Amino acid sequence: MAKILEGPAMKLFNKWGIPVPNYVVIMDPDRLAQLGEANKWLRESKLVVKAHEAIGGRFKLGLVKLGLNLDGALEAAKEMIGREIGTSVVRQVIVAEMLDHDEEYYLSIAGNRDGSELLLSNKGGVDIEEHWDTVKRLFIPLDETPSIERITESAIDAGFTGEIAERVAKIASRLILCFDNEDAQSIEINPLVIRKSDMRFAALDAVMNVDWDARFRHADWDFKPVSEIGRPFTEAEQQIMDIDARIKGSVKLVEVPGGDIALLTAGGGASVFYSDAVVARGGSIANYAEYSGDPPDWAVEALTEIICKLPHIKHIIVGGAIANFTDVKATFSGIINGFRASKSKGYLENVKIWVRRGGPNENQGLAAMKKLQEEGFDIHVYDRSMPMTDIVDLALNS
Amino acid sequence: MSILANKDTRAVIIGGVAGLNAAKRMAQFDFLVNRPLTVQAFVYPPEEGQQKEIYRGGELNNVTVYGSLDSALAENPQINTALIYIGASRAYHSAKEALDVKGIKLVTMITEGVPEKDAKALRKYALEQGKIFNGPSSIGIMTAGECRLGVIGGEFKNLKLCNLYRPGSFGVITKSGGLSNEAMWLCAQNGDGITSAVAIGGDAYPGTDFVTYLQMFENDPETKAVVIIGEVGGTLEEEAAEWYGREKRRIKLIASIGGTCQDVLPQGMKFGHAGAKEGKKGLGSARSKINALREAGALVPDTFGGLSKAIKQVYLELQASGVIKPEPELDEKLLPVLPPSVQEVMKQGEVIVEPLIRTTISDDRGEEPRYVGYAASELCEKGYGIEDVVGLLWNKKLPSKEESEIIKRIIMISADHGPAVSGAFGSIIAACAGIDLPQAVSAGMTMIGPRFGGAVTNAGKYFKYGVKEYPNDIPGFLNWMKENVGPVPGIGHRVKSVKNPDKRVKYLVDYVTNQTTLHTPCLNYALEVEKVTTAKKDNLILNVDGTIGCILVDLDFPEYSLNGFFVLARTIGMIGHWIDQNNQNARLIRLYDYLINYAVKEEREVPEKK
Repeated sequence: MAKILEGPAMKLFNKWGIPVPNYVVIMDPDRLAQLGEANKWLRESKLVVKAHEAIGGRFKLGLVKLGLNLDGALEAAKEMIGREIGTSVVRQVIVAEMLDHDEEYYLSIAGNRDGSELLLSNKGGVDIEEHWDTVKRLFIPLDETPSIERITESAIDAGFTGEIAERVAKIASRLILCFDNEDAQSIEINPLVIRKSDMRFAALDAVMNVDWDARFRHADWDFKPVSEIGRPFTEAEQQIMDIDARIKGSVKLVEVPGGDIALLTAGGGASVFYSDAVVARGGSIANYAEYSGDPPDWAVEALTEIICKLPHIKHIIVGGAIANFTDVKATFSGIINGFRASKSKGYLENVKIWVRRGGPNENQGLAAMKKLQEEGFDIHVYDRSMPMTDIVDLALNS
Repeated sequence: MSILANKDTRAVIIGGVAGLNAAKRMAQFDFLVNRPLTVQAFVYPPEEGQQKEIYRGGELNNVTVYGSLDSALAENPQINTALIYIGASRAYHSAKEALDVKGIKLVTMITEGVPEKDAKALRKYALEQGKIFNGPSSIGIMTAGECRLGVIGGEFKNLKLCNLYRPGSFGVITKSGGLSNEAMWLCAQNGDGITSAVAIGGDAYPGTDFVTYLQMFENDPETKAVVIIGEVGGTLEEEAAEWYGREKRRIKLIASIGGTCQDVLPQGMKFGHAGAKEGKKGLGSARSKINALREAGALVPDTFGGLSKAIKQVYLELQASGVIKPEPELDEKLLPVLPPSVQEVMKQGEVIVEPLIRTTISDDRGEEPRYVGYAASELCEKGYGIEDVVGLLWNKKLPSKEESEIIKRIIMISADHGPAVSGAFGSIIAACAGIDLPQAVSAGMTMIGPRFGGAVTNAGKYFKYGVKEYPNDIPGFLNWMKENVGPVPGIGHRVKSVKNPDKRVKYLVDYVTNQTTLHTPCLNYALEVEKVTTAKKDNLILNVDGTIGCILVDLDFPEYSLNGFFVLARTIGMIGHWIDQNNQNARLIRLYDYLINYAVKEEREVPEKK
């Protein structure tokens, strides 16, 4: 799942003939002034300025400004760019034409196991949730493209009439094309607006998710997906992602501020169960981490050092199931090096470490881990006979 | 009995090195349960035609790599299962091709990062064909006692610990690969082990689902209970609950669902598998799945830690009701033991292997090479030079300062002798023909022999003989040489003579005798011999080969090593000539006609062949 920002989404809409308002994405307000000289629409239309960042609730934060002229837009851009929201900074704004319109519609498509589903409503806008019963659905089986007649029927069903129904169906058919050909997972246009005087349509706002795994067949994807965790990535998370992109296997990290139990767990399935175990016992996690697919020891070492630096942690859970092919000895040697380096830098003071693991070379790996006791680590090592998540109970009861 | 994989499963692996590793692990299982090799062929175009070595216990098998699935099946029509180990960008086509093969009923894919659209299409295609597409991102399928597909089950030791050599009563279905192994372990610890275990993969749209396999387990009389391990995201667990609750099922269902922590974490924060994402309004949340499964009658412990107890409870109940009859455990000692590699056995000191070669000079087993025990870097640090390394590697002795200086000068003086001599000329001709450095230098090197540079060894050898056998009898020595050897090696020169002495010889003799304290019996003897031979003929002087040979004998180098000094020294020159010709972009050369005397027969007609 990869959410993309409005700018790249608009670009893909343009590519597939879905009408969008005029827009520019800028990083420097001066550039907007220059663009204003070059583009009539910037001088003559009402404008909307929005922070072009993955920040939720932009409207409430004052990061969306409506109904501006060019000077007002310049002012708004200056105000927004550089603003710090939590840990993130607004670096770009999107300035778009605010089309005067008569009606707002809702149009979306999302994938499911058997194909996708097109959703249509003539009651779009911010209150769409309240009008959810007006939404009409059209199931589109995998590898099938519904005829324009079929889509028009759905549009009429959703309350559209006459030429508008035909035009909405046409836009929906292009949305389906865009969805299919761009390996999208979901696209939501809300609102799709119409100015009846010249029958001009435009997708004023859009949320689009693409399948990042499919990027190998999209040469023109010049964007990066935005953070999926509801906030921008931290420096440490970015660092781990950069390592993850380079290695066989994977390492992952999500920081959870305020927690005091750090996870250094293995495997996509088991790691989630460790988080669950902490939460179920009333603890709070300081992070989510995962290494899997037999990653190189240095990558696990880097992950370990980052986790040891998490503030206010009391425990580190080095947990994992019985691995199929991840070498316990090799990955543990990365963790051990990370622990040693962290300790020498003054971290891990009063931190208890709890280990449970099985898999290839488990005996050597666990023995090496256990030897850390001799170096003054407060470490507790268990093998496969300890139920997987029980080390969490031990940690919380200690 | 079992599901998906059994004794009759014969597989092709589509993919490269990861597939080969899987095949090796699978062969360990084949050995454990004493079945023929499961993997019958590989398909991987870059390595078409190669044979891959697969050990089933101690038995070495060669499995062919084919360039296409068609050719693999033409030679191995018994194949009924395909394992996809190829990269994400080619995974779809490989799997689809396999699904198109009439005899292949099961395709399982380990590849991660496969686009959702591709996975969805493969699922649909398999359903239409009435086949199973398992995965993507699946660690594999295990049927205890019968068949292993993929690396599921881990290392050999673990296969035994999880009792996978014989069937039990529990089925296992997981999304996660690591947890499939953990679940098999739990079933062995708290119950009697598994019938089959399958990982469906953690992607958003796996090719199969819990219901697919629950139905199969329901139809498999040996399976009495099934453990499923699911997680937040999607609706597969809810569908499993719906299936289980719909009617009375024969199998007991135990489940554990991951992702309850997401209730307390910030909205949209996602981690774990690609498919582990909660939808709008709590759809697909771990909590809703747990509730649905419990309502359907499944046993769902609060946490993963409770799974052991749940399995044990179900096992005891099934035993009490007589559904599971306890069978005597096999004695683990009767199970086959994986033959260790020679290295492992040697480490334990349980085998003697006669070495193939012996070395007394050099050891590369440590962090850096050691020459006769001395670390190379330490020699550098303590001011030793290349001549000392020669002394160590050729004669196992560290020369004294004086001795190494002599060696160094011998090498310097013999490094080159212009382009006209056989060695350099050979290298130059090769360089001009565009031959690369090592081969061009070898061309020059082949010239070294009795008439060019190769007399050092024999000169040293015979003068040493003379010193020993005819110490005060030069005529006697010459006579012996005449009768037994011929001309004295090291004596005589094509152009140099008493009147036109070889400067190199004069210099070396002068340096060694006047500026060093080296005791030189052999060189002295040769100089005495020279006096006699030059009296007979002006050019029968002690030449440079003879001089070097004698000095080296006096330095105590073994006589058969002596040509090595000329080879070593002249290599420097030959490399220089090759570089020089290349720098000048030299062209191909050939002899002019006028430099050749064509002493040949006249033109004539070829007679008819008799």
